[in-house]
Formats: sequence, structure tokens, C-alpha cells
Amino acid sequence: MTGALDGLRIVELVDEPVEYCGRLLAGLGAEVIKLEPVGGAPSRQVGPFVDGREGDPDASLHFWHFNVGKRSVVAADDEAVRRVCASADVVIHTLGRAAAKERGLDHESLTAAHPGVISCVITPFGLTGPWADYQADDLVLMALGGSMAVCGYGTDDPPLACWGDQAWLTASTYGAIAVLAALDHRDRTGEGQLIDVSAHQASASMTEWHVMTYLCTGAPMARFRHPTVTARDGKQVAALVPDFLGPHVFKNFLTMLEADGVAGPLSDPAFEDPRHRARGYGELMAATQRLADRHDGEELFRLGQEAGLPWGVIRSPDEALVDRHLQARGHFVEIDGITHSGAPFIANGSPFSFDRPPPRLGQHTDEVLEAIESQEPKP
Amino acid sequence: MGDAVSPVALDGLRVLDFCRLGFGSQATMILGCLGAEVIRIESTTRPDPIRVMPPFVPEPGEVGQGFGGATLANAQKQQSANRGGIFYKYNTGGKRSIAVDARTPEGLDLLKELVQVSDVVTESFAAGTLARWGLDYETLRELRPDIIYVSMCGYGHVGPDSHYVTMGPTAQALTGLTHMVGLPDREPAGWSFSYLDHVGGYLGAFGILTALAHRRATGEGQHVDVSQLEPATALGGALLLDRSVNGRSSRRPDFPPGNRRGGAPQGAYRALGDDRWIVISCSTEEHWRNFVAALGHPSWTADPRFATLAGRVEHADDLDRNVESWTEQFDRYDAMEILQRGGVPAGAVQDAADRVERDPQLEARGQFTRLTSTEVGELPLEGVPFALSATPPDTGGTIHRGPPDMDEDRDYVLREVLGLTHDAVARLVDSGALR
Repeated sequence: MTGALDGLRIVELVDEPVEYCGRLLAGLGAEVIKLEPVGGAPSRQVGPFVDGREGDPDASLHFWHFNVGKRSVVAADDEAVRRVCASADVVIHTLGRAAAKERGLDHESLTAAHPGVISCVITPFGLTGPWADYQADDLVLMALGGSMAVCGYGTDDPPLACWGDQAWLTASTYGAIAVLAALDHRDRTGEGQLIDVSAHQASASMTEWHVMTYLCTGAPMARFRHPTVTARDGKQVAALVPDFLGPHVFKNFLTMLEADGVAGPLSDPAFEDPRHRARGYGELMAATQRLADRHDGEELFRLGQEAGLPWGVIRSPDEALVDRHLQARGHFVEIDGITHSGAPFIANGSPFSFDRPPPRLGQHTDEVLEAIESQEPKP
Repeated sequence: MGDAVSPVALDGLRVLDFCRLGFGSQATMILGCLGAEVIRIESTTRPDPIRVMPPFVPEPGEVGQGFGGATLANAQKQQSANRGGIFYKYNTGGKRSIAVDARTPEGLDLLKELVQVSDVVTESFAAGTLARWGLDYETLRELRPDIIYVSMCGYGHVGPDSHYVTMGPTAQALTGLTHMVGLPDREPAGWSFSYLDHVGGYLGAFGILTALAHRRATGEGQHVDVSQLEPATALGGALLLDRSVNGRSSRRPDFPPGNRRGGAPQGAYRALGDDRWIVISCSTEEHWRNFVAALGHPSWTADPRFATLAGRVEHADDLDRNVESWTEQFDRYDAMEILQRGGVPAGAVQDAADRVERDPQLEARGQFTRLTSTEVGELPLEGVPFALSATPPDTGGTIHRGPPDMDEDRDYVLREVLGLTHDAVARLVDSGALR
């Protein structure tokens, strides 16, 4: 079985943290060539490193994660960069308009070298608009996009951004979506195009109901933390009792509490009235905490789930590695003896998989450049 | 965004969309913005919860009500199915709506006819629901051999816990996203909204487009099974590998590091006004030099402890107090302008009001498109965060319209898509299948 993008060549020339875009497309079977400067991509210097091998360009786990499945080609100069790009169906880069033009990598130049090429440009603010030349890293993008204003402990503490480049990852995902849409158009018409992804817009798009709340009420959401309970082993558990999902929710919740003998005042028939429950939500949380006192986190969340409640224990990301469900779905994959996170979904017809480990710096320079030379028309 | 004559990326694609709530509808909204025709199959007796949940789009002259009141009591107020505000976030892209009762034989037959003229079927019910209606993947394939069936639910359709249910905060807890937001030595702060409803939807759209690429290459459809968990495990970056290679867990006292990312000054600083903040992020020596110059070289910047990046990181708390003594004097946007003009990455902490009213970049890029929905009128609504030069996305879809009122497109779907006669439609109405 082959991937959906088998036979497609994608070239990636990125400085900003948007390597996730190429990773997603590599998973679909595209040949993704990562162009690197002589010293290696900046992401090779981002930790953590294997066994503390700080500075070793082949030992960055950050680089491994975002570049699994790709090939690495070191381009000595811009002439080499342009040559590799001219062989590509899709070029992903992070250059602003002026820099791209200066290097002959703007969409017009790329199209002149290869009609039908798709340029996917992912920048902090997009290629147009009054902030197009402003600088931003993920923290700045999470601030301007709105996530930070509403995440944190409250107004005594600062607004908080999630660790790990979430605005860039969202922009990268949108970039991959746009590439697939542009390929659909190209397959039908032969026409390529310029994709201009704004990480700021991506970041601003991902705050669920918050814009609508402002439009409906005239007031933006406050910064808050979803309530949790503390399980017997100290783990926090997100134990929501979302009444709005239907009357079965409270019924199942009460049955579970009564089975453990901790229902307390909730057994009062008055709580059958949703308005009473809404007023007495503190009692629901208190009862949940009494239940939590009697169970470890992993056990408590499954107890809630078996009762039909959307409960989840708060794990560190690595603790998901032993989740029986993700394991049964074959989500984590071994590549050269290393366990990676794998496919974002199960697509049996055209599986998402990585056919190679993260590349060493320049590992594929010779083979890729030779292949391109052999495909170029002879003078 | 696009004008009427622009071609669209997903020209001629039809999606039969059973999605409810945010996760799945986020996916089909993206397809609609890219030019697909998305037909929502709805129920008037069991409406999509986000159609009837606060915040409600207020009637003219009425004061709106926030999500904080999202209780069953509120939902049971017999609100119109067209005023639930969250619905308008997830259902742009010119989606159509028809109400069909799949529990009636006529309704089920109608859905089967629609499958035959659709390319993609999407749904976000609990695993097994659509199969119980008689619309499992095998049946869909008999109706349309190259059908692309994309299921999007919390735990997916395959696996021992596929009966588990998630909401954003659940999936965020289980996959580590909640853990990744917080200050050192504190309990996790987490996300106050369902980030993974979006992420799951993005990967749902990516999955649909993957299956379309495969169909173009082979002529074959497939079932893509999307969960809310798998799209999240890659978002922790190297944290999984740190465990699988180095044996180091991110459950440790110094993680997450709040807003610190290895630079200094780096973080959110108080600006003029109540709970107003500016983020400054200096991760290189050049940023620091620019920062010092932009502030006009105040004396504290010459403190030898702050001479190198390593020194600034080591003395970040002292540095931050000094930085805040400067930011406190400024409106957050003024501080942002001073710093950005000086070459320093900086940005105001913006809330939703700021993004709609005060962000010139979002304005210039057309983040919000004013679209009209029949009952609620005009709203500024969001689509996709990218421009396409040849096939511009359109937040109003190919019909340039706001999200649909419940059952708004019954005639269009029955008469124009299926070509039913007036009498055939009347018979369907009488059968009770259209509700």
C-alpha cells in the first residue's frame, strides 16, 4: 500500500519553527527534501539532545521529532538552492517578500523555473499588511492571537502560553492543508499557486468560542483555569460534569458516586432539577473530590469514562506513551529502534507512515543532487 | 477575499456532513472555505448542541449571555436553533442545512440517495452511531464505491476504549497539552478553551484531503478514522523522544517553564491599564542590543549581570523587574510599536475584543468577513488563515453566505441536488422524514 503523495517532491527551506508542515506531508509518502545551510538548520541546535550531546547537529531530539521521514541536503549556495527548488512540485519556505525576491525564490521566479510549482510560504504575519515585516516568535504569536489572554491562573499571575510553538504548529498544519488543496487544483488544471500562511491569523483562529462570546455579550472571556480534582496519588484529573450534554450525564455521575458511597447531599432529589444543580455546582465538585480521594488518577478517569463522563487524567506528554488505546491503534511507531509519535489518524487506504529516520546533516546531499542532475535536460 | 469569478480549490466536491459540536465541524468548515459544497444533515428534534447553547447571538436591543451559563436549564429554554453563538464559529464556508430524521425509513432512504451524489461523508458521533442507523462504511461503499468516509470522534472507532468520550479539556489532559501550560512548581494551568477541538478538526480536514489525493491517484475511497488524541501527541515536540531516548519525563519541577523559552527578557510584562500585558521575547544578543537601544539605554541595562544572554537568563527575575518598570509606563500597543520598530519581537496580549476591534493586521488580511445568516443577520466571521493566489478561499463558501439556519436549504438539497419533483418533496414532508 502506498501513501497518498507517493512520487511527489517537496522541498523545504525553513528557519521559523514550521518543520511540522513538511513532517505531515512526509507522512503521506512525499519525498520531502530539507535544504540546510552548511552548518545545519537552526532547529538542529534546539534541545533536548541525545545523552546530553549538546551542539551535535545529529543529536537534537527536537530536530528528530520534526524531521522524521525527510531527506537532508546541504546547499552550498543560493544557486544550489534554486536548482533543487526547480525540481520540486512544492516549495515550503519562510522568507518574506523582499528576501524571497532577492534570493530568486519568490513565486514568480520559482514558476519561471518550474511551471505549476506550488509555493507554501509560512511567516509570522503573512506576506501583506502593516505588520508584515514585524518579528515574532511563538510567544509573541500566542500573545497577539489571544490564547495567552485567557490561559493562566487568574489576573494575579501573568497570561501564559503553552510550551512548544503551538501557534507555529497550527500555522504548519494549515500550510499542509493548503498544499493538499492546491495539489487538488493543480491535478485538475496544471496550475500552481502561492500559498501565504499567516501564523498570527492561525493563532487568532484557535480560541474556540471566544470571539463569538465577545460578539454576543460585548465582553471578552476572563483568564481562568478549568477546575480539576486531585486524585489519591496526587495526579490532577479533569473531571467535568457537562450538564449541557444531556440528562444522562448527572444520572450516571450520581450512580457512580453512590456506588462508592460518596454521593452525600447529591442524593437529595432536589438535584434532579438542572437549575438546582447549576446553583449547587460546588456540591458536584466537592463530591467529585471525595471520589478522587479514593482512587489513583488513571483509575479515576477510567471510572468516570465507564460512567459515560468525559474525564481525563492530566498526564505529561510522555505518559501518553503507555496508553493502551493509542498502543492498540498502532499510534506510536518504532523507527531504527526509536519510538516516535506516528499517524494523526488511521487511513487504511493510504497509510500515514515515515519510511526513514530523521536525517543526519547532509545525509542525502549526493544522492539527491545526482538524481536532479540526471533529470535535468542536457545542454 | 475571493470574488465571484475566482476558481475554487475543491471545485465540484460535495461533502455530506453529519458533524456536530466543534471538532468535526471545524474540518468541514475548512473544506467549505476551499470551495467544497458542504451539506449539513441536521435534526430539529435533537439539534446540534452548539445551535442551542450560550453564548446566544442577541436579538436587536437584547443583552447577550455568556457561556458561563451553559447549563441544561439554559439549553432547555427553547431558544431558537439559530442563535447559539458557537455554531457561527464552526460553520462558515457556506455550509447548507437540511433536517432529516434517519430513524424513519423515508429519511434513511433519502440519506442513501444523498450518499450516492456525494464524494465525502463526515460525522462526529460516538463510535458506532451511524452504523446503527444502517449507514456503516460497507453500506456507504455499496451506495457509492469510491466514497470517502471520515469519522471524527474522541477516541476514534478502533481500539479498546473507543466508547470513551472526550471534550477538548479531556483530550488535552490525556495527551499532555494541559500539563504543558503552567508555572514551575504550580499545578498545571492548562488551556481555558478546547484547543484540541481545533487541532482535531485541522487533522480531520488534512485526512479528508489525503483521501481525496489517494482517490485521484487510484480511484479508490477509504475510511479515515480520526480521534482527538492522535493529532495531539506530536504537539509536545521532543518531549516524547526525551522519554523514549533519554528516559527523562517532563513531569518534573522545572517544567513547564511558564513563558520562558531560553531567552531573556522573555515573558509577559504589565502595561498601562487593568490586566493589560505586553509580551517581549529576546532570544539573541541582537534582540537585546535592539531592546536596549529602543528603550534609550536606561542605566539598569548596563548592569554587568545583564551583559550576556547567559547572565540575563541567570538573573531573569531581576531583569524582569527592570523591564516591567519600563513597560508599566506604556500602553501595550505603544510599547509594541516602539519595540517592533526597533527590531525586537514584541506583541500586545490581545483578547477577543482586541482582535475584532483593534488589530490592524487581522483587519488588513481579512480575518473577519461580514457574512449574513438569515435569522441573526450580519456577523464578522472567521475562515482559514491563509491566502491562495489562484483559488482564493472564501469564508462564505461558494454561496457567500453565513452559517445556515436550521433546515434552511431543504428545497435546494431536495429539488436541485437530488432533482426531486414538487410532489416527491410533499410526500417526504408528509412522511415525517424531514425534521
